[in-house]
Amino acid sequence: MSNNNTAAIEREKRHMGLKASARISNTIIYILLIAISIVWLIPFVCIVLQSFRMESTGRVGYVIPQVWGLGNYRKLFDPSTNFLRWYLNTFIIALVVAVVQTVIVLCMSYTLSRFRFKMRKPLMQFMLILGMFPGMLAMIILYRVLDDLHLTGQYGNAVPGLILVYVASSGMGYYVSKGFFDTIPKTLDEAARVDGANRAQVLYKIILTLAKPIVIYTILTAFMGPWGDFVFARYVSQVIPQAMNVAVGLQSWLATDTMVHDNYTLFCAGGVVVAVPVAILFMCLQRYYVEGVTGGAVKG
Amino acid sequence: MASVKLTNVKKIYDSNDGTHRKDHVIAVHDFNLEIKDKEFVVFVGPSGCGKSTTLRMIAGLEDISEGTVEIDGEVVNDLQPKDRNIAMVFQNYALYPHMTVYDNIAFSLRLQKMPEDQIYEKVTNAADILGITEYLLRKPRALSGGQRQRVAIGRAMVRDSKVFLMDEPLSNLDAKLRNQMRAEIILLRQKLDTTFIYVTHDQTEAMTLADRIVIMKDGYIQQVGTPEECFDMPKNLFVAEFIGAPKMNIMKTQLLRENGRYFVTPFGSKIEVTGEKGKMLAEKKVPAGEILLGVRPEHMVLAAKDDATAIPVTLEVNEMMGSELHLHVFTEDGTRLIVRVPTIGLESGERETLVSGKKMSVTFEGKVMHFFDPETEQNLLL
Amino acid sequence: MKRYSDLEYLRLSKGQKFLYKLASFFAAIPRGLWNLVLGIGRFFKDLGLGIGREFSDIYLTFKNGDWKTRSSFLVMGFGSIARGQVLRGLLFLLFEIVFIFYMVVPHGGAYWVKMLGSLGLEGPSKGYDEILDQYTLVPHDNSFRILLYGVLTLFFIAAFIYTWRANVRQNKIAEEILRTGKPLRSGKDDLRSLVDDNFHKTLLALPLTGILVFTVMPIIFMILVAFTNYDGDHNGYTNALFGWVGFENFRTMFSWDVGGVNYAATFGEILTWTLIWAFFATFTNYFLGIFVAMMINKKGIHLKKVWRTILILTIAIPQFISLLYVSKMFDLNGLVNGGLKALGLIQQNIDFWGTPKLARIMVIVINIWIGIPYLMLIATGILMNIPADLYESSRIDGASGWKQFTKITLPYMLFITGPYLLTSFTSNMNNFNVIYLLTGGRPTNAAASGAAGSVGYTDLLITWLFKITTGSGTKYYLASVVGILVFLVVALISLVVYNLLPSVKNEEDFQ
Repeated sequence: MSNNNTAAIEREKRHMGLKASARISNTIIYILLIAISIVWLIPFVCIVLQSFRMESTGRVGYVIPQVWGLGNYRKLFDPSTNFLRWYLNTFIIALVVAVVQTVIVLCMSYTLSRFRFKMRKPLMQFMLILGMFPGMLAMIILYRVLDDLHLTGQYGNAVPGLILVYVASSGMGYYVSKGFFDTIPKTLDEAARVDGANRAQVLYKIILTLAKPIVIYTILTAFMGPWGDFVFARYVSQVIPQAMNVAVGLQSWLATDTMVHDNYTLFCAGGVVVAVPVAILFMCLQRYYVEGVTGGAVKG
Repeated sequence: MASVKLTNVKKIYDSNDGTHRKDHVIAVHDFNLEIKDKEFVVFVGPSGCGKSTTLRMIAGLEDISEGTVEIDGEVVNDLQPKDRNIAMVFQNYALYPHMTVYDNIAFSLRLQKMPEDQIYEKVTNAADILGITEYLLRKPRALSGGQRQRVAIGRAMVRDSKVFLMDEPLSNLDAKLRNQMRAEIILLRQKLDTTFIYVTHDQTEAMTLADRIVIMKDGYIQQVGTPEECFDMPKNLFVAEFIGAPKMNIMKTQLLRENGRYFVTPFGSKIEVTGEKGKMLAEKKVPAGEILLGVRPEHMVLAAKDDATAIPVTLEVNEMMGSELHLHVFTEDGTRLIVRVPTIGLESGERETLVSGKKMSVTFEGKVMHFFDPETEQNLLL
Repeated sequence: MKRYSDLEYLRLSKGQKFLYKLASFFAAIPRGLWNLVLGIGRFFKDLGLGIGREFSDIYLTFKNGDWKTRSSFLVMGFGSIARGQVLRGLLFLLFEIVFIFYMVVPHGGAYWVKMLGSLGLEGPSKGYDEILDQYTLVPHDNSFRILLYGVLTLFFIAAFIYTWRANVRQNKIAEEILRTGKPLRSGKDDLRSLVDDNFHKTLLALPLTGILVFTVMPIIFMILVAFTNYDGDHNGYTNALFGWVGFENFRTMFSWDVGGVNYAATFGEILTWTLIWAFFATFTNYFLGIFVAMMINKKGIHLKKVWRTILILTIAIPQFISLLYVSKMFDLNGLVNGGLKALGLIQQNIDFWGTPKLARIMVIVINIWIGIPYLMLIATGILMNIPADLYESSRIDGASGWKQFTKITLPYMLFITGPYLLTSFTSNMNNFNVIYLLTGGRPTNAAASGAAGSVGYTDLLITWLFKITTGSGTKYYLASVVGILVFLVVALISLVVYNLLPSVKNEEDFQ
């Protein structure tokens, strides 16, 4: 009797609808996803809310301001802070870097993906080894050289020097777009060559149109890099106020505890002003970023 | 070893494509079939006919929208694939790329927690049968297409399942290998002695492998029968054209009835229906009138003399196939016909005269005809 | 050791298989080392033979060449010009003129190379400036410039030798072509080939120059600095010169007691934490990223785009903002403590950044917050690429959801992302931003701070390096030593992993 029962239950279990179990696991997943979303959003919500706080400038234990106002933003654009200058510096750097770096990276990755020349393998191995040195090491000498060339913050303007630093070694970052180029069939190149195109024409008539996602990805990452860079900008600007970029500048507002007390809400407002345009740009081009990351970063 | 029974099985896809409009696509309509124990059944049809969907419903990889599937008398609609006691070979082999051949084959056994000794016995035994023993420690990447195919079969073999499902297992192989593997599947079947359900779009595979063929089109079963039945007595025009290569010649013509004898009059000729087919026409009292006449290319011959049975045609293309010629000809009104001529039957020097543009006559015997209703396209003799 | 056949091997139990593999691995080491030695030997043999061949070729070119060729040995490009390849010849000639000019001018190439041996004889001194009526710095030799321009000049000389050789070879080739009666390539042909046959050279010219000047050069320079006493007090610019000290700095780094400071312990401690950090930062992100990607991509989950977009926000917003802000959120009197207190969960504020253990856990946790979105994207791409029939097949084989994950999804991911994991591990070792912007290395490790910079418990080698080279009391030579050691660690890890990973070895496999 009981044997029959367990068999029946066993049977029942085996026959339990595929849909019912899926429903349970989906519910759990939704709960988890909502929790994750909250954790991911909290800091951003807080920073926005605190940028509107008027009653105090330091850190407080609550999020929602007691007195709302735009005072922090007004102060941000006041000439007494260097914020506008930093913003402009970063923007110019980002713009130039986006163009030049993209050209360099595309040249490099296209060549390494498409041409089979004698030095190709050794070159790639060499760059792999180079990449194992901490890049910061180079800064110690580069900033001295830039100083000799009057391109550091000491001479009031670090923008050209920083552009040079960002752009110069960008050939090393060929990996992702090479991965993408590798996925474009070589037969297309061959077909175009048979049709009478030379190598250069193959590049800009065939490959670049097909590689639009990776071109946009490269531009996007090149543009975003300078907004977040701290180390190089710190070296080259030498913490001279008008030469800094936004990252070094905003960090300098929070350098000590008293400064945190005076500048915290100002920092929040500055963060919002920096983040919003960049984030909007990123979100608009998100599709290409995802394609670049998934198509090029890991070849599968 | 088990029987499989499908009753009114239906597959409906809700294609919710993001717009608010919901479409129902019916992939399989009322599928009824009883597969006997140890039978080899082949589902065949053009792509999109629902054959793979039906197989996947039997496997449990697709939900069954309506109807029931029974394996060995048990309704399995709500069972997980693993509980259905089936094995399956996939079109792309579905070999786990990160596992060795041995681990691939042993995968299901390990999941059953079988002791390693027994696994070793089973896997090496299967590998021996399939001739892949020397590759056991390789990864699938290092194997050729045929070897991968064998591994996939080996993986299904070791499961000792009641039903063996194969989804277009040979379609990724080149022609030569396909022939070889086809023969090996026949041998395999003798060794395994279990129920096979095999899906293919290739009628040759269906004809050579099957005990029974299920011919499908647009989600409907067109005919179920032995290869001979399907070939000799196709239920409708679709089956007639699908089975046999090159495909059956179809001619629009009149069926005449004179003194209880039947005649057809394709392209001005007059040929009497004789033999079994003539008797059946008479028994069924098929009325005279317009019909679609079907004659297989191998049943057409070059007419020896220009009498009433000869159809005048012009030769367009002569395909040399080795032991036979495929002559593509067209009649006066432009209807294209194919005639299969064995080279051995040709006079010496005759082959060279068969060049494009040559005027000639063809004919066929009275007992090899198929008759279809021009409206319903059903076989008039069934 | 005994070698098993395939079938014998399969007979072994799991443990035996593992031992056998391990034994085979070690058994292969002597052979591998021997091959390495052979390889190095072969390299030098080929090198010697190659050089010999070059010299004999140069000699033969001179002996068999006509007067145009022979004059090219002195005046580069002469032969080319004389044979009508004017553009090519002029470029050669121009290069020679520039080179000679650079070498002979005062304070030119010759000076720099000569001074490399000593890195300067007379340092800057205070001299009385009569016009300004004050003491100013009178520059003499400058160690920094000597090292920099000395190295540059060596590069230049190497480039000149290479070009000279090319010039000689050109003559030989031209002679051979003319002997067969064919015309030589014109300057126009040369230019055209730059967009066709030699298009790769055109494309690589700019990027490689940049890498050479801004990466290779500085690295060579910094490697050399490790063998000097270049620091804040010996910078060669404004105070004393620096000079060669041999392996002294390395000896210091591995010493237990140099002036009461235990450098070896400091280095060991920071290296250990760097490796722990890199391990956790890489693998927590990796597995959780896959997990999140699988949740979002599961069949039947709606709003996929919304979840993804929320996560991507951390990529979209410049890292320094989120890192700085989150760092302040977790401060002793930051938002988190305030919130927890208001909810009544704690009485005392938690000092997240105050205790070594907690601070270390916090940076790893916050790094998950930063890193998951990126991994989620990558994992999504790969998950979509896993053939669906693998899952179908495994369902028939009886694998549960969990088994599918551990037996198929995960191995497949690891199989594909092996190279990525390696790079992500090494870049985490050098993850400056997360550590510096979150903690700045805090809490301070007083015991270890005697060496250089102020060492904290969350400091990585890279942030330590940064601290050594900024602020007061900079010790560039020590930074160089640290940099070289970081390189060695990364290279060692990469080498081992590369040899264990099958998928990295063959690039064409993936194409």
